[in-house]
Amino acid sequence: MLKKLLHSRETTAIGFILLMFLGVGAINPAFLTADNIWLCLNSSVVYTVAAVGIALVIMTGEIDVSVGATLGMTAAMCGTMIRDGEPWAWAIGAAMAAGLLIGMINGFGVTVLRIPSIIMTLGMNGIVRGLIYVYTDGRWVENISFDFKILAQGRLWGAFTYFYLGALALIAAVHLLLTKTRKGRYLGAVGDNAGGAMLLGIPVNGAKWVSFALCGLLTAVGGVLYVSRVGFVTPIAGSGYEMKVIAACVLGGISLTGGVGSVIGAAVGAAIMASISRVLVFIGLSSTYDDTITGIFLIVIVVSDALIRRRAVERARRERLTAKTQHAAEAKG
Amino acid sequence: MDTAVCQTPDALLAVRGIIKAFGTNMVLKAIDMDIRAGEVVALIGGNGAGKSTLMKIIMGIYQPDDGEIYIQGRLAKLNKPSAALAEGIYLVPQEPMLFPNMTVEQNVLMGFDEKQSELRKRLQGLLSYLGWKLALDRKAATLSIAEQQLVEILRGLMREARLLILDEPTSSLTFHEAEALFQIVADLKAKGIGIVYITHRLTEVFQIADQVLIMRDGVITLSGPVSNFTREMLVAGLLPQGNVAHRLAADSPESQRTLEEPALVLEALTGYGFSSVSLKVYPGEILGLAGVVGAGRTELATTILGRDMVKSGRVLLGGKDITGFRTGQVLKEGLNYVTEDRFVSGIFRISDVAANTTAANLGRMSRFFLNVKEERKITKRFIEAFHTKVTGQDQPIGSLSGGNQQKVVISRALSTSPKVLILDEPTRGIDAAARGDLYAIIEELKRQGLAILLISSDIEEIMELSDRAVTMYCGRINQEFSKGEISQDRLMAASFGVAEGSAEHA
Repeated sequence: MLKKLLHSRETTAIGFILLMFLGVGAINPAFLTADNIWLCLNSSVVYTVAAVGIALVIMTGEIDVSVGATLGMTAAMCGTMIRDGEPWAWAIGAAMAAGLLIGMINGFGVTVLRIPSIIMTLGMNGIVRGLIYVYTDGRWVENISFDFKILAQGRLWGAFTYFYLGALALIAAVHLLLTKTRKGRYLGAVGDNAGGAMLLGIPVNGAKWVSFALCGLLTAVGGVLYVSRVGFVTPIAGSGYEMKVIAACVLGGISLTGGVGSVIGAAVGAAIMASISRVLVFIGLSSTYDDTITGIFLIVIVVSDALIRRRAVERARRERLTAKTQHAAEAKG
Repeated sequence: MDTAVCQTPDALLAVRGIIKAFGTNMVLKAIDMDIRAGEVVALIGGNGAGKSTLMKIIMGIYQPDDGEIYIQGRLAKLNKPSAALAEGIYLVPQEPMLFPNMTVEQNVLMGFDEKQSELRKRLQGLLSYLGWKLALDRKAATLSIAEQQLVEILRGLMREARLLILDEPTSSLTFHEAEALFQIVADLKAKGIGIVYITHRLTEVFQIADQVLIMRDGVITLSGPVSNFTREMLVAGLLPQGNVAHRLAADSPESQRTLEEPALVLEALTGYGFSSVSLKVYPGEILGLAGVVGAGRTELATTILGRDMVKSGRVLLGGKDITGFRTGQVLKEGLNYVTEDRFVSGIFRISDVAANTTAANLGRMSRFFLNVKEERKITKRFIEAFHTKVTGQDQPIGSLSGGNQQKVVISRALSTSPKVLILDEPTRGIDAAARGDLYAIIEELKRQGLAILLISSDIEEIMELSDRAVTMYCGRINQEFSKGEISQDRLMAASFGVAEGSAEHA
């Protein structure tokens, strides 16, 4: 059991975040204070929720790059309605419905129209980003009620915000869903070997569609949290989030080819992503390198993952071919 | 179609009059087949005989155009894989379709409705009933092919499958693993499971099967209890009707090969997929390399071409040792290869005919900018010599017919002026008329002194073109034939591992 835990990809990600904190702490001890650690984790809540959503899509072997625009759109809707004095439940409900709808259209394009997911969601990203400008008239959504903004500040024992605790509960729930329920397991199975899943009677397209829909829904939850945390919404809110959350998933051990990893890993990755800009400040670099470093992480991890996989596939092919020639030799001998 | 209900109600699975066409290509022409409980039915057939199409229909992946399938005498509607699974049919594919990142247990239990704890209990019970030792917590990616097959069989048995289809299960197994599998098949048979056993190895048929079925060109040419047949009778069932051997011998005289130096020599060449291959190809000669798909012929060709590692042995080209050369160097030394898979790696689909003809030869045609005039000249020469039907040199190659595409691909190989040419399945998927053209081209190249190694699964093609032939079986050359010795039944027998004079195992 312990051995299994040591070898899991989530453990590697947790090891990475511990090393990062200890390493930066060695350079600048101020980084290792309890306050800072809580801040890093609490500030990752929007990434965390969206990363869990996109993790579901990546596990099925697809990708969703419309997360950034979806987050911006749902945040703009929620923010505008709360500013205009609509009931909170309406505002939150409308944002979530919009997120779900975007996710379902993505799923429709990928499974029914058979558009490659990168193209489908890239197009959707453009469409939704444009709609944000239409919806907000290109203006910032400001003057959001203080009561809504203060929600993000509430903390349990001065440590985790209630938002982050809620996100942790969400991760636990999704993790159980994925590992302990029959339908939940379909997601990973589809990403692991779609052909094999089909032969077992698993609805491959259905599973993909559900993953896109859930990704849209969870991204909308991220949008709502964003409004409360940030307190205003610009027309470019959420742009660049897609790279952050994809990098979070990859850092957390989820394979872009599907079938490998867990939402726990995605959450750890999201915490790393949220910490990077603070890390840069604490080691005396400008936080403008944030995106550059995220991009480097993404490429380095994906490339090394691909190289390891290619070697494994090549080795398996050679073993198979060798077995074939041995068959004749042993049969004769 | 007569109204007769299934005449054999005791059959686990009865297939009646199944017809399937893809476009104009009739793949299955009224197939009948019965499989009874506790019986192993061996299904044999060359490539393209329709075996896998038939199995996909039984698995509900394809829908037949006509015909019925009865399960225990009852008409069954198998319109999707889950319907076939529900009827107790399970296919163990040639390459196991496991989830590599899941454990054995997760792999077996995937797709069930029941509670995990109950399933686990059932799986434990099944394993002890079978007496298998298989670590359930291992990742599927770490299993050998033999173990992966066991997992696939477990999946089937957990679904209470009464009919298992094993598609060439021994093709990637070592001898001992195969022996172990036969034991398992015998056990399953004793437990009342019906088994369809698809294979290319005739010896296995006599080892484990009760019934045998041979398919060729979408029809069943031979069927009945194994004990009624000899190997030679099975080989005869695999052969096309109407022997064309005598016609060919007359119009292609034995080549004038004398004591000249061979152009290509392989000395005990061993690599991934083939072992101790020794052969010589002389200038002005076509050496046919026959065998079934998966025998290791393409691996041999691509290894000679430097795409994979040579484990031991030597490759000599015109007396020069080119073992382990990279692909570019091998081409430069004068050996070229026309791939078996024209559609995947043979053509630059949207480029024009001229660009495709000269693509292998750009180094010779240019310093920095391409010499377009030279490209036109070379292309024109080949189009005229081969009577390639094109509207112009700028026609995209993807819009040509298969035969004309292949002519362009051969032109490209020739534009590098090779001394040795390896042709891998040169006429696969090409219609009869274009095939004649290609044969004429290949004959002409031979007359011009090229040494040609012709890889083909089409025995008639080997007979038509070859001056000598060898057969490959399980990665080894198992028999050699001089021009006079080449005959359909000998080649077919050797391709299926029934070699004359060699130590047979059975």
